[in-house]
Amino acid sequence: MAAIETLLLQEALDGQALYARFIAANRLSGALVSFSGRVRDTSATGAVSHLYLDWYPGMTERSLADIAAAAADRFEVEALLVAHRCGEVRAGEEIVFVAAASAHRRAAFEAADYLMDRLKSEAALWKREVGTTLEGGGFDDWIEPTQKDSADLKRWNP
Amino acid sequence: MTVDILFFGKVADKAGIRQLKMELSDTGGSLLALRDKALGTVFAAGGLDATQVQMSVNQVRVTGDMPLSDGDEVAFFSAFSGG
Repeated sequence: MAAIETLLLQEALDGQALYARFIAANRLSGALVSFSGRVRDTSATGAVSHLYLDWYPGMTERSLADIAAAAADRFEVEALLVAHRCGEVRAGEEIVFVAAASAHRRAAFEAADYLMDRLKSEAALWKREVGTTLEGGGFDDWIEPTQKDSADLKRWNP
Repeated sequence: MTVDILFFGKVADKAGIRQLKMELSDTGGSLLALRDKALGTVFAAGGLDATQVQMSVNQVRVTGDMPLSDGDEVAFFSAFSGG
């Protein structure tokens, strides 16, 4: 039975601190993998100041837990950690962090990859990108999952 | 006998509100009837069409129709985008 922790955070996400804790809790696992996703300061539209992630209290937390539980069922992992921001996240800040521990490397790599693909389009979050265009005007756009995101998700259910 | 209605993401933006409460008798009795009613009134100004709107009842995603009951929490929202 894998140890699973999921966190939805309105305050800053410190992946390094979470990972230090994860390592300490899984000292005897043979393989540890982590991924940290950060808000880029540019997009196709212009300079990004921040993202705003709308969330549905209760349903959003459950969607993170469901995705992590599915990963634990699918891969031979010993522990999983999923942390996701909600609310306003500034450029340069961490928006998501996942970690996986397993006996051997493949399961940990795959679990982290799977978690991220599902979080992109199945976590109950709605992402808005806010910033300044090259012409100096403001933009404030809702981000929909891309074809790439759909293709990434289909890799796990061909 | 009421139903709580919540809006998230682009749908909340287009609707211009985050939540409202409706008498169960005014919802049309089913999820799709409520959606179409909401689309006809609340969403009309935002120019949303039904195919863009996803739904949940009591925080569980629903794709088809289902009857609504007193105290149900219905949400309308756009496609999820996390990560």
